[in-house]
Amino acid sequence: MRRWLWRTAWLLPAQALLLLLAGCLGGQLRPLPGLNQQLSRLGSSHDPAFTGQWLALIAARQGREQVVLVNTRRQAPEPLPGLNRPDAQPLSVAVDGQGERLALVRQLEGRTELVLYRRSLMSLQPIRIEPAGVPRQVNLSTDGRVLAVEVSRGGLWQVDLLELP
Amino acid sequence: MAAAALLSGCAGLVPRRQAAAPVGLGPESRQDPALSGNGRLLASVVERGGRSTVLLQDRRSGQVLPLRHLRGQQPHSSPALSWNGRYLALLVQRGPHRQAVVEDRLTGQFYPLLLPPGREPQRLSLAADGRQVAIDLLDNGQRRVEVFDLSTLLEADLAPGQRESGGGPGMVP
Repeated sequence: MRRWLWRTAWLLPAQALLLLLAGCLGGQLRPLPGLNQQLSRLGSSHDPAFTGQWLALIAARQGREQVVLVNTRRQAPEPLPGLNRPDAQPLSVAVDGQGERLALVRQLEGRTELVLYRRSLMSLQPIRIEPAGVPRQVNLSTDGRVLAVEVSRGGLWQVDLLELP
Repeated sequence: MAAAALLSGCAGLVPRRQAAAPVGLGPESRQDPALSGNGRLLASVVERGGRSTVLLQDRRSGQVLPLRHLRGQQPHSSPALSWNGRYLALLVQRGPHRQAVVEDRLTGQFYPLLLPPGREPQRLSLAADGRQVAIDLLDNGQRRVEVFDLSTLLEADLAPGQRESGGGPGMVP
């Protein structure tokens, strides 16, 4: 036994070093089981926008893709009246830290448009892209004041920054 | 001007507009924008030597801010920033696989985020305080979003005056 211990003693510093490295360099991610179970009920989902309390994503529900806003504290989707349309295809979504403003790029009637939804007002406003371009990815600062949108314009992808009133 | 723009109701909202600050290479392609929670920093993906590379800038001045750990891991995609921009999360290429990583700009530490085998990250989004991440995963041909806890790796990057609260969404007591 003593001989075995003597032979393996040199491994201890090596093991300690490995553990230290694992700690410093990241590690296996710890899933949040309760929330993820709720998310799995949405079926296929993609393109998340996450603030901590609010998670907006695009999910295939009832055979079509739509924007879903999950209140992660309640672990339940919030209603978004007037935002999703059966004839619209959402491409990218963003949400502010209050869960109040959602920015959305969607295809509707052959056009790709950027819209801003205010949840408390249930209002939807198009945002004009100037000079004209085709929006794709959208991102909103958590404070809800600045919107960044990727726009295809003249054969280039560009980023427009918009200060919201 | 902003008020006048707002009044143009039926024509749509016209907010005050600013192009992302140029980075000295003339017209170039820029994609995948991500703002810090306070809106002061902008991360985006530009082409550098034919490789998609994340670039971090002060939104107002256009000043490019240094990143320490991302060279040689292109293509980069899906950047995300915490409230003050302390943490930059993104997807990098490691051999044949994409990997989610976080760079802590305050301490210089770099954290690869290891996913269960067979799941390939497609996009990600970081919580404002940096302590959770939502990842769009491709698993057996299906995409789905899952949320992961980072609180054992990262301390909170909070807005001024914001207090850290215990627990988090989905935490099992």
